[in-house]
Amino acid sequence: MSTYDRNPSTPSSSSRLAVAASSGAPSRPGEGAVLSGRTLLRVICTAGSGALEYTHAFVTAYTADHLRGAVAQRLSVGAYELLSNALNFGSVSSDIVIELIESESFVGVRVANDAIAARISMLTEHLLKLKTNAEQTFLEELRRSVTGGIPRPMLGLARVSHEVGLTLDLQVQDRRVSVTAQCRR
Amino acid sequence: MSQFSSVQVPKAETIAIQLTAPNQVKLSGTITQKDPAQDLAGFFKALHTAALADKLSEVRADVSGLTFVNSSAIRLFVDWATWVKNERGQRYTLRFVTSRNVTWQKTSFMALMSLAKEVLALEHVT
Repeated sequence: MSTYDRNPSTPSSSSRLAVAASSGAPSRPGEGAVLSGRTLLRVICTAGSGALEYTHAFVTAYTADHLRGAVAQRLSVGAYELLSNALNFGSVSSDIVIELIESESFVGVRVANDAIAARISMLTEHLLKLKTNAEQTFLEELRRSVTGGIPRPMLGLARVSHEVGLTLDLQVQDRRVSVTAQCRR
Repeated sequence: MSQFSSVQVPKAETIAIQLTAPNQVKLSGTITQKDPAQDLAGFFKALHTAALADKLSEVRADVSGLTFVNSSAIRLFVDWATWVKNERGQRYTLRFVTSRNVTWQKTSFMALMSLAKEVLALEHVT
């Protein structure tokens, strides 16, 4: 189930886009809805810092202890790639927040950061591409992968969507971007 | 002694690397550093060059113990497959030994396989 509240290619004061994990697969009740529930953990990272590795290690250890093994593995990939993108492409003028959230049926990782309008447009386009065909996008990004090139956010997002099958949800409020990667518990 | 077996193994914090046979490298642990190419790109290239020099018909890369890698690390595997694929002379089969129990490996290596199926092989272990 995917939702567009506004034209997704145009950053606006408030918008939302959800990308289902499996392109073309029938949606299940609740899938694609905004994840709300209990916050299991919340870590605030300084933009531009080297917080990626130790924060990911902590989130991975926590999820491994609290969630089923397969779910923990999927969320570990989601946490790393979303946080990596936020640290690489987010604005350095505000904090980055990573949260692990659980509802009755779903669990997810949410990363929020500030970004400039061009970045928000790019992120929205990436997610639209994944929504159209996650597998094809993943393959394309693998093909375009070369070491030494400029880090690209797309392979990471494609991994989250296609490789580990998490549903991606983008919410934008002014310059604040929140990306949630979630799955059934 | 084969050139493959003589390749210098890099030391990295979160990953254990062993050359376990004249044509086999085993990687376990996690690859989370922002730029894993610094530690691993040169190593993979050296293995590739050595495999050609040794005229190996197959190289086994056992990644079944790699429980997590970031997307930068996946690029390194793509690179390795591309080097073999682009080799004009005698080339070897690059066989990735993967685990069914590690989520990221299932899709990534299947996708990689579709990009370079003429030079790659997959083997699954539990």
